[in-house]
Amino acid sequence: MATDADLIKAIAAGEGRALDDLYRRYERPLHAFLYRQGGPRDLDDRMQETWLHVVRAAPRYDPTRRFSTWLFQIALNLCRDARRRPPPEPIDPEIAATTVADPDATQAAENRLDAARLLAALPEAQRSVVVLRYYCDLTETEVAEILQCPTGTVKSRMHAALARLTALARVPRRKDEA
Amino acid sequence: MSERCDDARLAAVLGGEASPDLAAHLASCEACRADAPAWRQLATTLAAAHPPAPAAALAARVREAAGPLLASHARRAREARRTLWRTVGRAVAAALLPLPLLVLIDGWVLRAIYDTLRAVLPAALSLYFVVNYTTLLAVLLTLAYGAIPLLAERQTRLRHEEIHG
Repeated sequence: MATDADLIKAIAAGEGRALDDLYRRYERPLHAFLYRQGGPRDLDDRMQETWLHVVRAAPRYDPTRRFSTWLFQIALNLCRDARRRPPPEPIDPEIAATTVADPDATQAAENRLDAARLLAALPEAQRSVVVLRYYCDLTETEVAEILQCPTGTVKSRMHAALARLTALARVPRRKDEA
Repeated sequence: MSERCDDARLAAVLGGEASPDLAAHLASCEACRADAPAWRQLATTLAAAHPPAPAAALAARVREAAGPLLASHARRAREARRTLWRTVGRAVAAALLPLPLLVLIDGWVLRAIYDTLRAVLPAALSLYFVVNYTTLLAVLLTLAYGAIPLLAERQTRLRHEEIHG
């Protein structure tokens, strides 16, 4: 099986099939990362823009770096850019309006909403750390590389984020919704 | 909250399951024991939130949008290959040009050495020395000519990277 570096080299040579393979390999983790980091707003656009950025920068890819780290760094920067664009839309109206009869689907949407609310309550720097560490299962070193900060900072942001999330988890959320 | 409490919370939320270290810490720390239900609640909420699956049409959309960029990369790669072959061809041709003269000079030198050796040594021994020397010359010449395409390719690649980044 071709490595990520082989595929990115093939993309730099203009091979579309290599892009298909690499896209398939990272489709779900990248989509999940973009969703959790930036919310549902313009999700598909951010996904597309991330891949276009990858293709555009493929000839300049440094093979000594891990592709996944590079990819998530691009995605993170795009999420930051997207957040600067008005208007803010913290919760997906599609999810919020879920009133389907299927109890499983409703529960899944509620869970998604709860996690989205919790993550939205964090400052961007802390949210990035939680999403990359918890959902993308990256190590502290990899997260530090993506965020371009020392591993100590990753650790302290993670602790601060969990302290805040724990405080939020203690508050019965349904009460203020009623 | 101490560093150990921070680590216990991290283990509880990230790990999902209670480790012996975590259990030991909870047994000894009242504050963390009081927080443990909130940690569990947090871990459950975060773990249960599956993001929506990417739309099936998204892959095709990305591929279509990337089409012009890929075509541009392919064109550039073709140009780079053509430039490479041209440069290597020129370098080899330039190196081959003086080859007949080199062979002539080497042949003359070998002949002169053989004649000199024959004057003082037996013919077989003189021939042995000259054959050795000829072999050495041939190896050196092969190495030099073999290096030309490699060096030309490297030089072209470096120049291409310098221009296109």
